[in-house]
Amino acid sequence: MMTPSEEDFELELRSLPGVLSVGVEHRDNGEVDGVTLFVRGQDPESVRHVALQVASLYYPTAAVTVEDANRAPATRGMPSERVALVRTDFNVHEGVSEVHLAMAGRVGVGRSGSGPLIGGAEATLNALRELGYEVPFFLVGVNNIATARGWPVIVTLRSLSDAGDRIGIAQSNGDLESAAKATLDALNRFLSSLSPAEG
Amino acid sequence: MSNVEQETQTEERDPSDQLYEPWVFLKMLDELASSELGIGFVYAVLDVLVTRFGLDDATVVLVDEALGTQTFRHRRRQAELDLLPNGGLEPGVYTVPDIVPEIVRDAVRSVCQLSLSLHLARYMASHDALTNISNRRTFDSALHTAAVQSSRYGWAFTLVLADLNALKAINDTSGHAVGDDVLRMFGFALRRSVRTGDTAARIGGDEFAVILANAEGSEVESFLDRLRTLLVPSGIVIEFSVGTASAPRDSTDPAELYRIADARLYEKKGKIKR
Repeated sequence: MMTPSEEDFELELRSLPGVLSVGVEHRDNGEVDGVTLFVRGQDPESVRHVALQVASLYYPTAAVTVEDANRAPATRGMPSERVALVRTDFNVHEGVSEVHLAMAGRVGVGRSGSGPLIGGAEATLNALRELGYEVPFFLVGVNNIATARGWPVIVTLRSLSDAGDRIGIAQSNGDLESAAKATLDALNRFLSSLSPAEG
Repeated sequence: MSNVEQETQTEERDPSDQLYEPWVFLKMLDELASSELGIGFVYAVLDVLVTRFGLDDATVVLVDEALGTQTFRHRRRQAELDLLPNGGLEPGVYTVPDIVPEIVRDAVRSVCQLSLSLHLARYMASHDALTNISNRRTFDSALHTAAVQSSRYGWAFTLVLADLNALKAINDTSGHAVGDDVLRMFGFALRRSVRTGDTAARIGGDEFAVILANAEGSEVESFLDRLRTLLVPSGIVIEFSVGTASAPRDSTDPAELYRIADARLYEKKGKIKR
């Protein structure tokens, strides 16, 4: 929870010319330990000079760092949009496995009448198709194996075009979720290479 | 996990834990009811978003007329802009993974924008824009409160009025930009000179006022010594005159205290001019 003075401190820093972003670090006791400012279009050293004065009024011992946003590496940027597993459900009454995937704010829901293990993989493929992907693979096998640290699930998918196999492995909360994650793991590079529109 | 266990897990799921449920609006209403809108609220909303969707990270980019583009990241210690697509600064909510529905992102952005604007408006309503110390309105309120407490409980405080001696000459000879710098420096020195609980305000063009809580005589002199010491490194000679009035000794009426301090100030200024 921010204190009112900390809020005003941050507001005052943000009102300095060129400041785009403010990050605050705290000590274990909650005291402000340091601040980092990202600036654009201003001399970072000049901004740091004024920011130090402001900091001296609120938190005299806080370190002040100023970084030039224009010098941020060009390769920086949000990771390319990727498919994320939102949730899994198995309805024991109807025997239906359900997988919710999301990408770019859209959600695809896939269902399968198989049990949690195979159904998890099938429902994941269906959810991908609902998101708009054409998935040129079919399910070859879903197995869970005993290890010293649990029961990871291995999913094997075979390409419709070249008969090559893709294998994914995951261990999560139960067979259904593990199977869904293993399916995404198997398709990891395939999915990152194209968008749903291209799929 | 067995089927039975999974069924149990499903049944125990929070019924509001649905992707399209308007939880975000309800949560915001809760927050609105229990806290003031401000920068802290922006971070609180981002934290809720991250927790609710199981996100790795979230950033909101806002554009304010006075502050320009501002980014807020839920992990406050990170000011980096690496979450933004291609380093761009388009207003919006950016998350990793990108799974938040647009309707929720729009709601988060709107409420964060409102929160920042209200915080800024609240700050500007109580502070002087040039010096960032309290303005006349805040000073009047603080003086009234201090006077009431002094009258009721006998608590002592001293009102200090300060007037820059040569601001008009600086403006005329060096320009108003230099004059503004002088005002900023004096305001900054005032902020650093006062103690927690004191009030420093700009109440007119070159007129400043300070309410020193629980202070009389030597404490006032200590304050003035601190102020003069802090003005030395500014590089510009800033001369000022002061007049003081103490409660409850001189009065416990705010208007009377102000009148006394003002009269003493101008008595000193008259001596300087002579």
